[in-house]
Amino acid sequence: MEIIMTGLASILFGAGIYNLLQKQLLRIVVGTVLVSHGAHLYFLTMAQLKRGAPPLVVDGVTEYADPLPQALVLTAIVIAFGVTSFLLVLAYRTYTLNKTDNMEELRGSDHE
Amino acid sequence: MIYAVFAPLLFAVLIPFLSRWKEKVHTGWLILPVPFLIFLYFLQFVGPNFEPQVQSVQWIPSLDISLSFHLDGLSLLFALLISGIGTLVVLYSIYYLNHKEQLGHFYTYLYIFMTAMLGVVLSDNVFALYAFWEFTSISSFLLIGYWHYRERSRYGALKSMLITVLGGFSLLAGIILLTIVTGTTSIREMVAQADVIVDSHYFPFILAFLLLGAFTKSAQFPFHIWLPDAMEAPTPVSAYLHSATMVKAGIYLMARFSPILAGDPNFFFLLSLFGIVTLVWGSFMAVRQTDLKGILAYSTISQLGMIMAMLGFGTDVALFAAVFHILNHATFKGSLFMVAGIVDHETGTRDIRKLGGLMTFMPISFTLAIFGTFSMAGVPLPFLNGFYSKEMFFDATLVNSASGPFMEALVAALPVLAVIGSIFTFVYSMYLFFGTFTGKYKEEELPQTPHEAPKMMLLPPFILILGVITIGLFPEMFNQGLITHAADAVFGAENNQDIYFWHGLVPAFYMSVAVVVLGITLYLTKSKWEGIYSVLPGRLSFNRVYDWLIEKIETGSNKVTTSYMTGSLRFYMVLTLTAIFAITLGVLIQTNGVNFEVTDVAPITTKELIVAAIMAIAAIATIFVHNRIAIILIVGVIGYGLAILFVFYRAPDLALTQLIVETVTVVLFMLCFYHLPNLQKSTTPLLTKGVNVAISVGFGLLLMVIGVSAYNSRAFDSIADYYIENADPLAGGYNMVNVILVDFRGIDTLFEVAVLFGAALAIIAMIKLRRDKGAK
Amino acid sequence: MNNLIFLPIVLPLIASVIAAFFPKKLNLSRKFAQITSVILTIMTAALTWHVLTNGTIVVQSGGWEAPFGISIVGDGLSMILVMTTYIIGTAAVFYAPSVLDKQQESFYFYAFFFLLISGVSGAFMTGDLFNLFVFFEVLLIASYGLIVLGNGKVQLRESMKYVLFNVFSSMLFVTAIAFIYAITGTVNFAQLAERVEYVEQAGILTTVAIILFFVFAVKAAIFPLYYWLPNSYVVPNAVVSALFGALLTKVGIYSILRVFTLIFVHDTGVTHQIFIWLAMFTMLFGVIGALSTNNVKLIITYNIIPAVGFMLMGIGLYTEDAIAGSVYYLMHDMVIKGALFFLIGALIVAAGTKDLREMSGVIQKFPLLGWIFFVASLILAGVPPFSGFIGKILLLRGGLEQEEFLLVIIALISSLLILFSMMRIFIRGFWGDLMDNISDDRKRVRNLTIPGVVLVSISIFLGVGAEAVYPHVESIANMLMDRTDYISSVLKE
Repeated sequence: MEIIMTGLASILFGAGIYNLLQKQLLRIVVGTVLVSHGAHLYFLTMAQLKRGAPPLVVDGVTEYADPLPQALVLTAIVIAFGVTSFLLVLAYRTYTLNKTDNMEELRGSDHE
Repeated sequence: MIYAVFAPLLFAVLIPFLSRWKEKVHTGWLILPVPFLIFLYFLQFVGPNFEPQVQSVQWIPSLDISLSFHLDGLSLLFALLISGIGTLVVLYSIYYLNHKEQLGHFYTYLYIFMTAMLGVVLSDNVFALYAFWEFTSISSFLLIGYWHYRERSRYGALKSMLITVLGGFSLLAGIILLTIVTGTTSIREMVAQADVIVDSHYFPFILAFLLLGAFTKSAQFPFHIWLPDAMEAPTPVSAYLHSATMVKAGIYLMARFSPILAGDPNFFFLLSLFGIVTLVWGSFMAVRQTDLKGILAYSTISQLGMIMAMLGFGTDVALFAAVFHILNHATFKGSLFMVAGIVDHETGTRDIRKLGGLMTFMPISFTLAIFGTFSMAGVPLPFLNGFYSKEMFFDATLVNSASGPFMEALVAALPVLAVIGSIFTFVYSMYLFFGTFTGKYKEEELPQTPHEAPKMMLLPPFILILGVITIGLFPEMFNQGLITHAADAVFGAENNQDIYFWHGLVPAFYMSVAVVVLGITLYLTKSKWEGIYSVLPGRLSFNRVYDWLIEKIETGSNKVTTSYMTGSLRFYMVLTLTAIFAITLGVLIQTNGVNFEVTDVAPITTKELIVAAIMAIAAIATIFVHNRIAIILIVGVIGYGLAILFVFYRAPDLALTQLIVETVTVVLFMLCFYHLPNLQKSTTPLLTKGVNVAISVGFGLLLMVIGVSAYNSRAFDSIADYYIENADPLAGGYNMVNVILVDFRGIDTLFEVAVLFGAALAIIAMIKLRRDKGAK
Repeated sequence: MNNLIFLPIVLPLIASVIAAFFPKKLNLSRKFAQITSVILTIMTAALTWHVLTNGTIVVQSGGWEAPFGISIVGDGLSMILVMTTYIIGTAAVFYAPSVLDKQQESFYFYAFFFLLISGVSGAFMTGDLFNLFVFFEVLLIASYGLIVLGNGKVQLRESMKYVLFNVFSSMLFVTAIAFIYAITGTVNFAQLAERVEYVEQAGILTTVAIILFFVFAVKAAIFPLYYWLPNSYVVPNAVVSALFGALLTKVGIYSILRVFTLIFVHDTGVTHQIFIWLAMFTMLFGVIGALSTNNVKLIITYNIIPAVGFMLMGIGLYTEDAIAGSVYYLMHDMVIKGALFFLIGALIVAAGTKDLREMSGVIQKFPLLGWIFFVASLILAGVPPFSGFIGKILLLRGGLEQEEFLLVIIALISSLLILFSMMRIFIRGFWGDLMDNISDDRKRVRNLTIPGVVLVSISIFLGVGAEAVYPHVESIANMLMDRTDYISSVLKE
């Protein structure tokens, strides 16, 4: 199962990258969301799946799933959420100020 | 000694504070005593019984960098030149520079230079030497650019800085190699290990780096091009830095290291070759110049080449002559620069085509110039010091020996080239002298009516000419007190030569005669053969190479940079991802990191597969959907799918968090993108699409391979057991994930909140602050 | 006493929250920020001194022993970098009022500033890979807030690129941590360092290490991953550029230094050799960029890149001399980059333009600015006896000892070209005839110059007074090369 999940995470990553390489802001932001999903899934998978019970202490149970990656991924999810919301607003403001959602039109020619 | 070195610097710092008196007294008078006292200080060491002096002050002992000063014969000679000519130049500048100029700046730069130059010639520690060395370049830069509102000054300043600092950096590499090989930073200790250095496999690099340093500084062909442009500096500076002292730093360096480097035949070959070529080329080019200072600049180049060549010969006579000529050149060239400055000052031009017949207007300058130019030309008269050292130079060209075809060819060519160079030297000396002071007086061409300079302005060149004559008449006096000590230091052993006027009918004598006879012939027929300059150098000047290089550096770098800094996010991403992909793949292959030996995996179940399949399809669907609402919903599907997977994988807290976050995110997406244009069907070219596909697929596959390999390469048990065992008993919580979050790794969570806090502030700032719409 | 080591990380966070409460009261905000940063700087200096004399301080957060809790490690390297951060930060706080307009200042500039300082200090001091990620995010979100401050059109456009690049590299960071966790089962630096030696499948570990390197390389602006940097550093306000230029890329290079001297040293033949190659290209392309433009601020911005190349060179060479060189250079570069961005901000105000072709003769009206800029240029190029020189000697010595002649020659050539790029500004902008468009606001320019003067003085001290600093750097390098001190102080074995 871990192999399949790694594959799924890679698909999410790949699809995310494809969207990142597009022109329109919405697609690019969607790309970052997919990539972050991929990253989180990698993390959980890498710590082995379905070994033992959910990490809630229950008397008599000795096998638990590794709680550390879960905690780390939780942190990562929340951080990604914060960043994504910022990114969304930034994308919106960039659009309203620059009057385009096409990144190729947002190159800027002031290198010089 | 340390006070002597740093006194000028101290005054350089004080000068800006002295400027309050500048209305009443010329700043130069206030600080004139400084170099003079230093001169007197060093003068006390002169004498037949001179013993080297050492004085050392710690600076950065942990890096073995100290200010240790070592005064031997060579250093003494240079120190006297620096302080002596320094005194004269300051005196001269008082009359040369107008009260209204920014004198404070001028003297500050000049005194920084003085300290730097004294430091170069006295330092025994190579790093200290290097530090002082760079400061000579920098002060020279500032002095050349002193009249910075002139385009030519800025050009010359930049050029001199780039070339000399290039050499400086090369020197740095050389001395670092020396310290690596010898394990010491003291030059004296390095000399003691000379054979270790020559035998080391680093030696070719050491030689190349040091030579590049010396050649750039001492304006050796083809790095000489900065020196003529340095003539944009005020004339006192040209006389001081660009003829008597700074340009001799490279000479000094070679002389100082010659006991080490001369053990290698390449040293002889390279120094002799570059030196003699510089001699010929410099004197050849000097004849062509029309600017008085231009002639003197090329003349300086040529004379430096001659000294450099003699250092290369490495025989006792040659080294002695080299040291002797350093002194002689400083005297006659210094005085000639000052005379040229006087002519410029009094007539308003330095263009020799406009000058002529000044003999009657400026009789004293005229007299001084006779001695100076004739000494420079090497005219055989017993009261001209230039002749002595030139005669010794001819002698030295005849006695070299070497093996190998190139070396033998060079040895054979040396005397011939020496004579040719000297002939041109003779020609430009005559041209300089007669062109300025005799011939027709062209009143209408001169901006000012010429008259003799004030007496005090004539005093410094007069003193130098006095030196020319005294050395000429009583060479042995200088020999015993000074020159022989310097020659000893360079030779690394006793080097006692007699200086006398009449050698007998030796080959050197015939060479001198040939120079005079051919020189006179060529001078008289100058107009007939001048056409040669349109062929040589013609368009092939190194100046053009420099200008071309500078221009190319600017335009080329602009071209290169704008070619990839396009501002296109996609393009940047493509480059970045490709680089990461390629190098990571390379490492993966090279380290043989792929590991597909699947061990210990969880069983595959259908419900998980279904969720995974839906997510995969959804992820790929994002690429093809062109409706913004649809794409946002699909993203939502993926997020919720992830939450379900978290449930399957025994991570209830994660699932919950993911669920909430995803919901909020989708709402935010909706809010923000409601006003944005709908997605368009992409009209990207096929190639672009292909690249995008290749990168995404490639990257996905690479991560897949790495992920699987990493999973299969599990080398240790996770540290998880600790949390499982201790969550309840030590941290008092049943939910291990929560316990980790708030207790074991509480800092993570604290700063996770900080991120949210920052994001919230940033969003508020972005929405509320609407400053300049449109503009900016 | 030991717990005080948290203060440089936590206090600015608190300060940030406090500053967010009264953003509109500008005078109060300024006073608060200035006083707080001065106090924090003094406190950090005292802590640093303590660490340098008495040895590494390790605090396990919450009292949980390593590797289970998060270790905050105040070793020599971390502390001198944190101290440098605070010095630059303090200079920036005094610089800010003269260069920001009131609206920018009142939209949480000081809150973002303290958040940034907190994130940077945390990144320098944490001993935990995942925690490093968290601090990266803290400093990044603060930098996002700073870069969009003002909401200019161009500003948002370039911010977008900056943010996207960083978001992507953050995600790659998480992925790399995941892979490392799979192989080693831990995220604690010291334990990682211990475990890496025993991994049998070293190849995959090296590969993952390289991914991690790229994550840091994006932040550090190493070739060929720096495209996002030039324009995004040019568009924000001068004080923001100064903070970015002095601190952000340095966190990236610090992370590389830490991780590739402490943890992934199992296959230096592959990893560190790659660094050497990338260092060469970074130096060359960076300096080419610096010569390519007439925008003075962009020239300074591009000059960040070759400096990163120098530091990477030291890490790649991986000898004690070279590592000491990198550490020294890191300190030096933080200070001088801060100074240069301050000065260039002053120049732009003084000259009224960013375009070198439209300015001339500034030194005639602002001699102090001109001369300090001149000295700063020399420092940047590594001219003795200033701070750049000490680092350069060590790096070159390391390179020559390893017989990397090409590397050394490229380093020297780029030093020369750095000097050239700076002299272009000095010769064309400061020298020459006085132009009409030069500002008359002497007071403002003076206020903008003074922070630069302070930093340049520090930089001069780092060179001339190297004896006071270098022995510490030497022992830091010693500790970086011999990892046992770090490992045993964290794991208490």
